[in-house]
Amino acid sequence: MTAKLVVEGLSHHYPDEYTGIDVHALDDISLEVEEGELVSVVGPSGCGKSTLLNILAGLLPYRVGTATVDGIRIEGPGPDRGVVFQEHAILPWRTVNKNIGHGLEIKRMPRDQIAKRVQEFVNLVGLAGFEDKYPHELSGGMKQRCAVARTLCADPVIMLMDEPFAAVDAQTRITLQEELNRIAMATKKTILFITHSVDEAAFLADRCFVFSARPGRLKAIVDINIPRGDRIWSDMNANADFLAARDEILKLVREEVSVATEE
Amino acid sequence: MSDTIAKEGAAGGILASLSIAIQTRIGRQKLRKIILGSIPFLVLFVLWQMNTAFEWLPAVFIPPLGDVLGAAITLQEDCVGIGGALAMDNTCLLTNHIFSSIGRVILAAVIGLPLGIGAGILAGMNRTVSRYLEPVGVFANSISGIAWIPLAIVWFGVGWMTTLFIMLNTIFWLMFFNAMLGVRGVAKVYEQSVLTMGGSRWDVIRHVYLPGAMPSIITGMRISLGFGWRALIAAEMIGGDSGLGFMIFVSAEEFKIEEVFLGVIIISLIYMATDRYLLAPLEKWTVERWGLIWKPT
Ligand SMILES: Nc1ncnc2c1ncn2[C@@H]1O[C@H](COP(=O)(O)OP(=O)(O)OP(=O)(O)O)[C@@H](O)[C@H]1O
Ligand SMILES: [Mg+2]
Repeated sequence: MTAKLVVEGLSHHYPDEYTGIDVHALDDISLEVEEGELVSVVGPSGCGKSTLLNILAGLLPYRVGTATVDGIRIEGPGPDRGVVFQEHAILPWRTVNKNIGHGLEIKRMPRDQIAKRVQEFVNLVGLAGFEDKYPHELSGGMKQRCAVARTLCADPVIMLMDEPFAAVDAQTRITLQEELNRIAMATKKTILFITHSVDEAAFLADRCFVFSARPGRLKAIVDINIPRGDRIWSDMNANADFLAARDEILKLVREEVSVATEE
Repeated sequence: MSDTIAKEGAAGGILASLSIAIQTRIGRQKLRKIILGSIPFLVLFVLWQMNTAFEWLPAVFIPPLGDVLGAAITLQEDCVGIGGALAMDNTCLLTNHIFSSIGRVILAAVIGLPLGIGAGILAGMNRTVSRYLEPVGVFANSISGIAWIPLAIVWFGVGWMTTLFIMLNTIFWLMFFNAMLGVRGVAKVYEQSVLTMGGSRWDVIRHVYLPGAMPSIITGMRISLGFGWRALIAAEMIGGDSGLGFMIFVSAEEFKIEEVFLGVIIISLIYMATDRYLLAPLEKWTVERWGLIWKPT
């Protein structure tokens, strides 16, 4: 396996032109994500997870450190890196169908092929019957599922997902997590998955990156060696590896959250 | 029913007295809207009729309705049929003025609206473009459109070039500012999502800025067409050789007050029709459908 995504010595400050006091969001982050690997990122709120994702997506220019894909420095956004944004970024003026097929439309895929693929993903995220609705006619969780389907449907090599299942109901979340696991297994996509849920981080990831409170540093890496085929929620309570990984992540996160709240 | 009447006042009363068949055919909500909207006009109309009956103000100031309708017939009296009117035959005085004004509005709108939207979107997304265009736009907006009329007459003479210039000057800049502000108000994350799917600048313009700025663009169309009409009427009065503004001006000079009334009524009817049958449906099928604007209930 080769490293697909490499981050070295990455730091980021947000300048504040009104107060003059910069926010130090990321501090000296170095990490690698292997090709076909699914890594999760957990850490206290405000520790710079979304900042890291924006840099990797090519949406946020950075100066200190490097971030590369296949050895090439990230300089801007591209269709090789699909993003599920933390806020629902589906377009209000497009129906569910048109949103999900948007990436393929940009790639100029023929209409009938788009329609076929879109239907698959509509069914996958359980939005059948809502194909022609506009986002304002959907619930929060439905919008999020639509956003996930849009990114999956565009079929990027790398997927950067920022708390994609946060507003989805527990039952759908389990389905989507298992589905993402199946996709990771079947397609060998490289996935970076940000979450607040320790269970989710342990269930999905090959490795979990735990970040410290702001300024975000890479505090620890937890390996989770469960074969993808064994990752089914109904079996997890009896899976010692899962339980051990979850408890370790939980312990690490707890230390940081108490640091963050003592601040 | 009785408390509905109390609550809605006259509109409720009128509504209640209509037959159920009519109510269900048009829809209660819509009917109520129509009735409420007509009340101010009805009041004006009744006052007008009362003025005629009681002769508060003489007919040279406020002519009876009959005279106004009569003026329309007199102006059209030598015109042969709809064919003659459409061919803009010399004999069809009234329709010629109407068509001439409408034609100018359409011409100015067809040129000015797309240019204003295009330039506004560019200025909204690009700092350099906005640095060039914003100051001159602020300059243009500081002077009311009609203040250009004397200068335009010197440049283009009396006629359609002057009226077109005045209208374009009004329509373009109002549209420009509205489109620009609309683009600036579109959430950044929409643009980012299109870029991360491999979208080009052009994709972002078509798929994000244009629809995202639509609420402002429609407002801009409303405002610029409204002000454009007003500017046109003024321009036709001073620098035109035909059109409703010209007709009103000439009639006033000849003390044909009923023709002035006729012209004013026609102008407002045309504008109301534009708003109702062009802008309102556009709004309904875009920004309202997308949930981008709130409608008071
Ligand atoms: N555009 C911005 N301008 C200025 N400061 C920002 C900006 N975006 C984020 N920050 C700051 O950077 C820090 C990290 O923010 P970031 O959004 O990366 O956190 P996060 O880890 O994703 O948090 P959460 O889990 O709550 O989503 C925060 O303190 C935030 O205030
Ligand atoms: Mg975040």
